[in-house]
Amino acid sequence: MENTDSRQITLIQASAILISTIIGVGVLPLPLFAVRAADSAAPLVTIFAIGVAFLGIALLTWLGMRFPNQSIFQYGNDIIGKWLGTIGSIVVIVFFAVLTSLTAREFGEVVVTSVLKSTPVEVTVIVMLTLAAISARRSITTFAYFHTFYFPLLLVPCVLIAILSLGNAEVINLQPILLTSPNNAFMGTFTIAALFQGSFIMTVVIPAMRKPKKAMKASLFGILVSGGLYLIIVVASVSVFGAEEIKKLLWPTLELAKGASLPANVLERLDAAFLAVWVTAVFTTLLSSYFLTSVALKQVLHLKEHQVFTFILLPIVFFMAMLPQNVTHLYVIIEDIGRVGLYITMAYPGLLLLIAMLRKKRGERNA
Amino acid sequence: MHRAGISKQIRLLLAALLLMPLLTGCWDRLEIDERAVVLGVSIDEVTSEEAAERESEVSHVKGSLPPPKQGMVKVGVQIALPGRIPLGPGEGGGSNDTMQTVWVITVVGHSMDDAFMNLQQQVSSELFFGHLRIIVVSEAIAKKGMENINDYFRRNPEVRRMAWLMVSKGKALGLMTAAPKLERIPTLYLMSTLDNSIKMGKFPKDYIGVYWSNSSKKGQEGFLPYVAIKDEQNVEIQGLAYFRGEHMVGVTKPFEVAGYLGLRGVNPAGYRAVIMLDENDPNSTVMTNVTHRRSVIKLRLKDGVPHFDIYIELEANLEEKMSEEFEINNPDIIARIERVQSDASVKFYQNIIKKTQSKGSDIFGFGEHVRAKKPKYWNQYVKTKEAWQEKYKEVTFNIDVIVKIRRIGMKAI
Repeated sequence: MENTDSRQITLIQASAILISTIIGVGVLPLPLFAVRAADSAAPLVTIFAIGVAFLGIALLTWLGMRFPNQSIFQYGNDIIGKWLGTIGSIVVIVFFAVLTSLTAREFGEVVVTSVLKSTPVEVTVIVMLTLAAISARRSITTFAYFHTFYFPLLLVPCVLIAILSLGNAEVINLQPILLTSPNNAFMGTFTIAALFQGSFIMTVVIPAMRKPKKAMKASLFGILVSGGLYLIIVVASVSVFGAEEIKKLLWPTLELAKGASLPANVLERLDAAFLAVWVTAVFTTLLSSYFLTSVALKQVLHLKEHQVFTFILLPIVFFMAMLPQNVTHLYVIIEDIGRVGLYITMAYPGLLLLIAMLRKKRGERNA
Repeated sequence: MHRAGISKQIRLLLAALLLMPLLTGCWDRLEIDERAVVLGVSIDEVTSEEAAERESEVSHVKGSLPPPKQGMVKVGVQIALPGRIPLGPGEGGGSNDTMQTVWVITVVGHSMDDAFMNLQQQVSSELFFGHLRIIVVSEAIAKKGMENINDYFRRNPEVRRMAWLMVSKGKALGLMTAAPKLERIPTLYLMSTLDNSIKMGKFPKDYIGVYWSNSSKKGQEGFLPYVAIKDEQNVEIQGLAYFRGEHMVGVTKPFEVAGYLGLRGVNPAGYRAVIMLDENDPNSTVMTNVTHRRSVIKLRLKDGVPHFDIYIELEANLEEKMSEEFEINNPDIIARIERVQSDASVKFYQNIIKKTQSKGSDIFGFGEHVRAKKPKYWNQYVKTKEAWQEKYKEVTFNIDVIVKIRRIGMKAI
């Protein structure tokens, strides 16, 4: 019904998938991460992180273009052998299952703290996960439609809030723009780069692309747009609040939305509107990591359908989401897992690419 | 195949039905009339006798907790009475008694939250801070320190960054119970007093969020509007209450607010200045109305100490003259007025800077210029907020003011 032609995804759809996957829960604490790393040089660190993130996705895309009919879970076996390849795939699967659960939990914490104070966090988390699970049952073509449909809804309000809040901006807060003490900048770069990890979804998108040769372009667009948005948010919050104030705010972007108001008192605080948009952003992110996990499981176990796994995964992911004890514990885990994850989402594809080149392995050219 | 499709749809429908009760959001259902909408909060000192007498045992048992070092607080809240607030000018009418539209209650507590919980124990509806517009702190509390107050309101997700925090001369509670004639709700009157003075160029944008940002910055201190209640239940802005860290250290004169605005080059401008052309003749005065300000701040290091060159340009209109002793009908006299005003302005700006320097309270953010433009110097010699508070006392200034009078009104001489 849906799978008459398996290669339907266009360049724009592939970029849209990347953009709406990357923009997710991370936008709320992003300025805090950036400022902790480099004070007023936060935008610079963000640019570094965008560079690192692009490097990661470029390696993966390069691999994908070398094996245009397969995902990393399939060509991994061809490159480093069945055993090592399977182990690699399982590590990736576990990582994305954990990432899914952390995203859901972070979402739940924000909602419980700021909007629905008496709703149990379990309920918000499970609603979100179930939504993602139901939507992840679809084929990759429908999955691409989901993202293409939502991504303008994510971009426009975020940019709008940043622009509206610029009325209170002071340029002096952004100076000095260069790093003055590079101690934390290194770690901070990787913490922010970790927010781009959802882009790993590209590995299952490329085999479904109409023209896999355009994959690199899609990756570039995806990182440029989402990275650009991240940069705008960091610049806006640092210039409005100043670095020191951001260090005192758990979710500076939400605070930025609180301070922004539409002209002529139409809406006096935009945080409610922003949260509504942000729920969509979280949904698309969750959908991607959930979809990736179930498709990966299917490919590792050589099954035909990935639908089986969506509901099997649900209790496991939910259980993991409930493990962090409190919100500070949650952020320690998110930062640590994020940085460890860079080994999985960047070093592993890099290694595969290197070996594939040395062993002169490549996939079939013709689709 | 077809039947499988149907059963799949049914399964999906069932799953959706399972989700339904979760999506209704019933946990947080709160009808608007079950909310106690807090419009204003006042925070005062309380004597230990009164505290002992009125203390409730809501969040702790009496005697189990020693009062905090700064002493306990008396919190007054202004709660909107649903249905009593007339929506348009035509409705309601009657007397303008405060007590009809709002309800003012006071409680004592060890901290902000403790006080609010004591209050909640006495009010049936849930307190809601989403419409909180005004927080008034008494001068005594501001001098003791704002840590607890800032912490509580920053942590509370309902509070807006666009609310006003202000320091009152004397008791803060007076501003909650005052009944100004122009607005039916006292806090809204207070708010419009401040909002309008921003529009008229008499006060900087200094919402609670701006105050928080300023006092967080390493090279800047926060300041708040300093207000007092007058005989006719009206409210006067009496200057800026300036802080050093979390403690209020002084107040400027109302006219010195213009000094702050001029040094920061805030527009629109709106202060009038009295200019005496002949030092010995009080009748030789004219008044000008500054309409536009521009300031350029240049920083350089002089003998290892930051030195600021400040260039200020003021555009003004002439508004009145005391006597007919002289005529304003040629460019020479205008030039003379300009010269006198710019000389007076230089002294005026120097004074206000000196005043804040003596308290180590850099409300203008000169330190931020040092941090932003001389990062090497900053990291080597300053680095912390405390160090800048000391360093600020040594900083030197050179101020240049250019006044341009453009118009003289409808009178020809």
